[in-house]
Amino acid sequence: MNAQLLATKAYNGMATVHPEVPAISVGMGTCGIGNGADTLYDALVDAATGKNIIIKKAGCFGYCALEPLLMVYHPDRPVLLFGDVKASQAADFVRAASDEAAYAALAPRALCKLSSWDFRTAAITFGEGFPDVPEWNELPFFKGQEKLVMRDCGLIDPESLDEYVAVGGYSALARAIGSMSPDEVIAEITSAGLRGRGGAGFPTGVKWQMMRQNEATERYIICNADEGDPGAYMNRNEIESDPHMLVEGMAIGAYAMGASTAIVYVRAEYPLAVHRLQKAIADATEAGLLGDRVLGTDFSLTMRIVSGAGAFVCGEETALIASIEGRAGRSSPRPPFPAAKGYLGKPTNINNVETWCNVPVILARGASYFRRFGTDRSPGTKVFSLVGKVKNTGLVELPLGMPLSDIVYGMGEGTGSRKRIKAVQTGGPSGGCIPADKFDTRVDYEALAELGAIMGSGGMVVMDEDNCMVDVARYFVGFTSAESCGACAPCREGLSQMLRILTAITRGEARAGDIATLERLSRVVRDSSLCGLGQTAANPVLTTLRYFRDEYENHIIGGRCAAGTCEALFSALCENSCPLHMNIPGYLALMGEGRLEEAFELSLRDNPLPGVMGRICHFHCQMRCKRETLDEPVAQGELHRYLADTIYKIGAQKAVWARLVDEKLPSNGLKVAIIGAGPAGLSAGFYLARLGYEVTIFESRPAAGGILRYGIPAYRLPKEVLDTELELWTLLGVTFVFNTAVGVDVSVDALSSRHDALIVASGAHADRSLGVPGEELDGVHAGYAWLEEFALGTAPVPRKRALVIGGGNVAIDTARTLARLDCEVRVAYRRSRDDMPANAVEIKGAEDEGVRFEYSLQPLEVLGTAGRVVGARFRVMRAGGVDASGRPAPVATDQTVDIPCDDVYVAVGERVDASFLSGTGVSVHTDGRIRRDALTCKASDSIWAIGDAVTGPATAAEAMGLGKQAARAIDEALMKRSVFASLFKDFGYSMQVPPEPVEALAMRSPEVPPSQRRGCFAEISQGYSGNQAVAEASRCLRCDIRANARSPWR
Amino acid sequence: MNTTQESERTAPAPGALLSALENAQRENEYDYLPESILRRVAAETGEALSRVYSVATFYSFFNLKPQGKHPIVVCRGTACHTRGSLGLLKETADKLGFPDFREDEESSFTTEDKMFSVRTVACFGQCALAPVVSVDGAMYSRMTPARLCALIDDIRRGDQS
Ligand code: FES
Repeated sequence: MNAQLLATKAYNGMATVHPEVPAISVGMGTCGIGNGADTLYDALVDAATGKNIIIKKAGCFGYCALEPLLMVYHPDRPVLLFGDVKASQAADFVRAASDEAAYAALAPRALCKLSSWDFRTAAITFGEGFPDVPEWNELPFFKGQEKLVMRDCGLIDPESLDEYVAVGGYSALARAIGSMSPDEVIAEITSAGLRGRGGAGFPTGVKWQMMRQNEATERYIICNADEGDPGAYMNRNEIESDPHMLVEGMAIGAYAMGASTAIVYVRAEYPLAVHRLQKAIADATEAGLLGDRVLGTDFSLTMRIVSGAGAFVCGEETALIASIEGRAGRSSPRPPFPAAKGYLGKPTNINNVETWCNVPVILARGASYFRRFGTDRSPGTKVFSLVGKVKNTGLVELPLGMPLSDIVYGMGEGTGSRKRIKAVQTGGPSGGCIPADKFDTRVDYEALAELGAIMGSGGMVVMDEDNCMVDVARYFVGFTSAESCGACAPCREGLSQMLRILTAITRGEARAGDIATLERLSRVVRDSSLCGLGQTAANPVLTTLRYFRDEYENHIIGGRCAAGTCEALFSALCENSCPLHMNIPGYLALMGEGRLEEAFELSLRDNPLPGVMGRICHFHCQMRCKRETLDEPVAQGELHRYLADTIYKIGAQKAVWARLVDEKLPSNGLKVAIIGAGPAGLSAGFYLARLGYEVTIFESRPAAGGILRYGIPAYRLPKEVLDTELELWTLLGVTFVFNTAVGVDVSVDALSSRHDALIVASGAHADRSLGVPGEELDGVHAGYAWLEEFALGTAPVPRKRALVIGGGNVAIDTARTLARLDCEVRVAYRRSRDDMPANAVEIKGAEDEGVRFEYSLQPLEVLGTAGRVVGARFRVMRAGGVDASGRPAPVATDQTVDIPCDDVYVAVGERVDASFLSGTGVSVHTDGRIRRDALTCKASDSIWAIGDAVTGPATAAEAMGLGKQAARAIDEALMKRSVFASLFKDFGYSMQVPPEPVEALAMRSPEVPPSQRRGCFAEISQGYSGNQAVAEASRCLRCDIRANARSPWR
Repeated sequence: MNTTQESERTAPAPGALLSALENAQRENEYDYLPESILRRVAAETGEALSRVYSVATFYSFFNLKPQGKHPIVVCRGTACHTRGSLGLLKETADKLGFPDFREDEESSFTTEDKMFSVRTVACFGQCALAPVVSVDGAMYSRMTPARLCALIDDIRRGDQS
């Protein structure tokens, strides 16, 4: 056997794998090239001419989000990895490679370093240095990864056989054919427990054994590199970055199974992979590693490539064989299995790329080494393509058995925005959607199958709150139904019927019974299809039905797509994301036409507190405004406020109010009691009164408004605005009963017996405590309770040095109020500024007013002397890995600090206290929130629940949205009619697409300067001028002008 | 023993028909397979025309209609879908005068002047940088509707001058 040959190649290869002169390598996978790696490479070559520097190409290191990736090698130093490198920086890198000082200056900008690398079939120590640069596996993206398959990816030149041999390549083949019998090879694979990496995880050793048993003159082995899962690309990368590992793995397999022809079936969409594999095969053949008498033994092997032409079904073994034989890729029934009768009727073994790529490691290091990774039933690693709504996208290789949360939040670091992750889709069109609350699942074949998903080839697509799960199901069924080869009826017909129903749901044309039909069809297709494509095609539907049924119901019954994906279900994204579904483009258009009174009327019908909400809303609408992709979202709130203020100034509201009173539906004699006069209760009362109900609102405080009156300080919301708007309730005949606490002054039973429906809208304002010693000291105040006392005029006079603990809006409202009372205010929060839940403008405002913020402080104890607060002790925290909230988790350090103060205000969140409902048949969650039906808000036979009492602390708009939703549901339930739409009116406005937008930031309204805010509770923001309002309204892009747009209350 | 030759005697080389069709399409000026070419491939490979047709229609890679001078390919893979590729496709279709284009009914469209062809692909394998669009063979990652429209305008301008 030709050992000398490998030794020479290894020697040659080492000169570039572990160079003795400076070197720069560029990741040149398809994704690198697509992002400028090729121009970068050329620029480096230019810059390096005449210098003793090696510029080389490498495969992809997996961190695709930061392409192009570049590595700098210096003799006896760690390799440094840089991301997102531009061709314009080429000269800098070349200088750094040749000049020690420039090198040291560049090092801190490196993503990470590689002091050594374990190629698994060899290991190289590059060198020590740069203590401040993290080691590669200390970066969140790489932490926990084990690169068994991607052992060479990014570190060797995929087009160099020498480099592959230098890192131990082909040593496994030499060992297998030189000193092992085919049975011994199979035994090694079997005891390693390797399972098929392309689908359900069939044991590879067993599959090889089955093939070997079949007597035949000719046997074939095939590599399935069709990678039909759209959204997964690990196979492409494996071939592009390290084609020889596939060649070697297949050669070992051919030897073990007695095959003399190997075929690689690659997608035509992967030209680079095909090119590199072709070269690898040619080079290996020339070196005697393939072809006749491999390495001088009796074993011969011919390898060739067939390029597929884009058909998903070809992932199915029988279809793939048909395709290689030159026929249309249609499945045929099994048995016979390919192992008995496959390609050209001969025994054929098909394995996925990654399965083959594991083989050389197992042979080189032994089965027990392989079993060190992963779990007992699923040994080894798996490469996943982590993509979709996740910050760090790329290829991750991890030991099987790792929890999904470690992958999504650890390696992926969440969405990278404030958006919440909703689900992960694994296994592509054959897989399923796993909801975020199941992310503690440990990823292996069985665990994923139990959830209704599959591992598949390793696609992992992260979805966030903007992704609609019905749309996802429709997308996949659309895909599989188009790809169905048509050979069997259940798959062909079943899928197209499923697609029809799913499409109807996304268009708002489905009926309630359709979900059941869809479910039944899914089972039939799963149980009776001929091949794997059909058998698994229902998985995306079955899993979304299992975990996201409420989304289906919301589409069909509620007529809404909360994610804002199904366009036929809303008019514009701003309207859809507004919890009240205000027709925002509509009233902006009316304002643009100068029809202010009509604009006001339109907005009032959608939202009865325009002046209030225009000021203090969370502006959910702005977060989805399409204008943001151009410059800045439309300042809808300012316009809303301007509209209300202007109308009130000229007194035009009276006429509009009179119209609403006039058109009240005739009294239906039904009585509704509402507990709580906050935003939720007011909203429900407004709509129910208009629908003809006799509405009474019970409120424990002396006036209406809830948080709007008692929580939000006057400098944000002058109480006169609230008072003006509340007149409308009285006009509509709503009765308020103040100073009456339900459960104390009047019992729930008494209310129930006197009313036809009871709505609980009691909010969430029981302050949470810190749970640390010293909270009982004199001078410790609960944040929300203090704000309320302040609004009522009963708060104790604050002392000079105030310390507010918390980072939400209540904390900031407290701090800014105290600042106005001439206190020295500090706010302590346990995370960073970026992670504060409070509105950004509020934080900024507080800073302007001289409030000092202390970040990363977790309270340990409130300090006191003689029963009186003198300060607080905190643990200093640091930012750790991303947690389920999408923010870096605070991690304790061993440091503590004391902050002296005279008063402590604890504003770390509020919770629901619904104890007054006990014994009424209403059930509550463990945290106190009331349980209710998501669509109707029904909590028991005669009780409905809305607002913060069901959601926990949320926004005023969300509370009002639920009030509106409940009013509709109650009317439909009690009156068995559907008249809600009659409460809205069509005003007719321009449906002309506005002219091409010119880039322009939103208008800013003038403000009271910070220097004048001490001791002053006057409103800070002065509102738009008329000209500003017109200019701002014209920034709306009118996304509602579409053929299929639907009015929000249709 | 050289097994390659033996197996080739019993059957055509693996994928011969697919490769022949791929080459024929590549050589065609409008990147498609008119009937005349299908007939020629059938004659050359010795396959029945019906089989050639069956293969050409089965795989999405093959075009049976002439393609425009500037191919625009929008990825409709899962990663790209979750990051808004349907919006890109709609935007392109609107811009090029095919507002009614529906991907599940038609696989592609070509503008009247044969300037642009728009089609979709299942996945480019660049999912980490979704959404991905290829224009004139060059890949564009993290594409936005605004960038794509600007690109189309640039091409139009370039071709006119
Ligand atoms: S999903 Fe678009 S490139 Fe893969």
